[in-house]
Amino acid sequence: MAAIDVRHLSKTFTTGSRRRRGSIEAVRDISFSVAEGERLAYIGPNGAGKSTSIKMLTGILYPTDGDASVLGYVPWCERRALVRHIGTLFGQRSQLWSELPARRSLELLGTIYGLGDPASRIAELAELLEAAPLLDVPVRNLSLGQRMRCELAAAMLHEPRILFLDEPTIGLDLVAKQRFREAVMRLNSDRGTTIFLTSHDVADIEHVARRVIVINHGALIYDDKVSAMRRSLLRTKLVEVRFDEEPGPIDIEGVEVLKAAALGYKLTVDTARRPIRAVLDDLLDGYAVGDISVVDPPLERVISQIYETPR
Amino acid sequence: MNIYRAAFAAGFGRAVRQPGDLAVRAGFYLLLLLTFAALWNAATAAQGGDIEGYTFAALVWYVVAAEGAVNATKPRLIEEIGDAIGSGLIAVEMLRPVSVVGFRLAAETGEALARVLAVVVPGAVVVLLAEGPPPSSAGALLAVPSLVLAFGCNLAGQHVFAASAFWVNDAKATWFLYQKFVFLLGGMLLPLEFLPGGLEFWARTLPFWTMAYAPARLLSGRAEPMLLLGQVVWLVALVAAALAVFGAGERRLQVAGG
Amino acid sequence: MKNALAVFRTATAEAAANRRSLGFQMAIMIANDVAWVGFWILFFRKVGEVRGWDANRMLVLFAILTTLGGIALGLFSNCRHVGRLAAGGELDHVLTLPVDPLAYTLTRKIEPIFLGDLAFGVVLFVLAGDLTVERTLLYLAASLCGAAVLIGFLVFGGSLTFFSRGRGEAGELGFQAILLLSSYPLEIFGGATKVLLFTAVPAAFVSGLPTRLVEDFDVVTAAVLVAAAAGFLGLGSFTFRLGLRRYTSGALWTRA
Repeated sequence: MAAIDVRHLSKTFTTGSRRRRGSIEAVRDISFSVAEGERLAYIGPNGAGKSTSIKMLTGILYPTDGDASVLGYVPWCERRALVRHIGTLFGQRSQLWSELPARRSLELLGTIYGLGDPASRIAELAELLEAAPLLDVPVRNLSLGQRMRCELAAAMLHEPRILFLDEPTIGLDLVAKQRFREAVMRLNSDRGTTIFLTSHDVADIEHVARRVIVINHGALIYDDKVSAMRRSLLRTKLVEVRFDEEPGPIDIEGVEVLKAAALGYKLTVDTARRPIRAVLDDLLDGYAVGDISVVDPPLERVISQIYETPR
Repeated sequence: MNIYRAAFAAGFGRAVRQPGDLAVRAGFYLLLLLTFAALWNAATAAQGGDIEGYTFAALVWYVVAAEGAVNATKPRLIEEIGDAIGSGLIAVEMLRPVSVVGFRLAAETGEALARVLAVVVPGAVVVLLAEGPPPSSAGALLAVPSLVLAFGCNLAGQHVFAASAFWVNDAKATWFLYQKFVFLLGGMLLPLEFLPGGLEFWARTLPFWTMAYAPARLLSGRAEPMLLLGQVVWLVALVAAALAVFGAGERRLQVAGG
Repeated sequence: MKNALAVFRTATAEAAANRRSLGFQMAIMIANDVAWVGFWILFFRKVGEVRGWDANRMLVLFAILTTLGGIALGLFSNCRHVGRLAAGGELDHVLTLPVDPLAYTLTRKIEPIFLGDLAFGVVLFVLAGDLTVERTLLYLAASLCGAAVLIGFLVFGGSLTFFSRGRGEAGELGFQAILLLSSYPLEIFGGATKVLLFTAVPAAFVSGLPTRLVEDFDVVTAAVLVAAAAGFLGLGSFTFRLGLRRYTSGALWTRA
């Protein structure tokens, strides 16, 4: 049984005053499946429908049309039963009581979820998330990064099978983002928790997800493994070369000079025209190459291409 | 002078662009009229027709003006001014080449006028249909400028009160107290003639009567032009006081730094 | 029930944690209430008895009103904010918990400033005289019933925001209306208005009947009051639950 099964899910909001009634199709006929233990990134630009999708899957919103089943439950009908088995973290909204230390919020959650031994569970999570010294400080005195780790503890307290994360790294600095992603990866590797992450930060995909679904204007426009995305969609590689002496004009088939500065060159290779191996052979044979590296283009470029591709 | 006129127009426009808020205020005002009409109806009946010379009809028109004058202004204005001072917004306003108080008063007067038109006029029409016209047409005529003077005095008074926020952190909650002064000593809830001797003396000495009692007395049937004179005198005094206190506060801001 | 108590205890801790200007605010509230008591004393001094009401009876009404106001707006303060929470998408968190959403929302926040009203009400009742065990019990029961009616009414009004596209202006008017009409003796109002006070704006059940219960107890009034309390709580709860199906999580304002 799939952990998450979505079939033709749609959500339309009606807007406007009595005079100018309009509607927003936030989500249009999306379908996909997620297996247990998967790490999925659900990405799209602002207003694409990511949060709306996650809110339907967690039972917060009722869909206009379509079906979904999460761990065998229909989220909007069996919400109270489902939420015992899923954890949620909304980047823009806090679950913690801001005037009190995080520990207090966690203890309350322990009571609500009916945990047998909340104290040891809190200690366990505190260690896993490196949040032990943060728990006894009033939440409003924590930095955003520190608070997000406590929020993660709150989302994981009841050992959920799926963790839904809605824009969790928004507003965090690079270091905090990295720590957060590592924490999430640990949860997945230690407990097999399914990770469902929405984001418009491409780095979240590169570091956390194995699979990526792209949504734009409410519709799914891409669904594949992250590695496949990189391979199939962009037929270029970036080559950075440092020459030992002035190379003169670079005349190799399939190669374009992107940037040239003294002896350091950035080249793009059209791998559809010419395999990278052949290009490297030509470079090393014909020029005095001091140092060379071959990298994939940044995922940003890949994603932008996807957004622009009409389905 | 043009800047103040522009501020006035801006304030008026701001209030008009919130029809939902005006509708709520109008609804509440009608409920107030209904409630007080019921109260004074029962009270005058119990007293055999009139109380201190006020008949039921006189009292209803009294309420129209008294509640109308006070409800034209925002009770939480003091809180807003306190917030503006605390958040440093006043410091920004001080950069304009006009008086902070003058500008604000002009804008707030515009808003109040919009509210009077949207809230008080419909209420007055309802009372007109239900109870007939005000007891004295001369009084009613005087009541109109008196109403404008009333909320002018009220706004200036609120600025004086709110200026304490330049010095004290929690002055915002004091709008509750100011409101009660207007309610009791300003004659909004009870005509000043109903107060016992000592209290009536203080009510007539302090400026709060200009904010409710004056237009109410006029509309309830007493054409007493001295009331208007008193309002003008107090208006000048209160605006001067507001300018002085705000000036001192602004100087303090410049020295102490927001 | 266990959950509600746990949430309530945490809300108490949160209110206590923010003690900074609490004393000052409560003092302002009490001064405000004293001013109203002053008004009524002056009024009855001038007017004498009106339709069976005198200053003392008015003080009993006011004691009950401030007590139940403190309970509803102080202890269960979110009852007043249901409209804002619904329109602003602030119910997301409670929907991710295995709890009853309304119970959690109501117990979630204590507004300390209204505890001033609660304290004032108790003191005023004691001062209004004729203190007997029977009267005290009736006062407590009447205040609880009145609070239930007020909470139910406010939750109902706020829940209507789920079905409209506004930010709850109608609910705000309803709130001000019920507080206004509950602050005056029921018997001054005539026919049509009185019907209003027993139905659309149930001020009669908030202050009118509770005062009658304490001053001239009779079983019918008691039964009607209890039924009204249950009825309005039920109405509020039902409308809230129905409204959750239409919850948009603030999507109309933030385009998530």
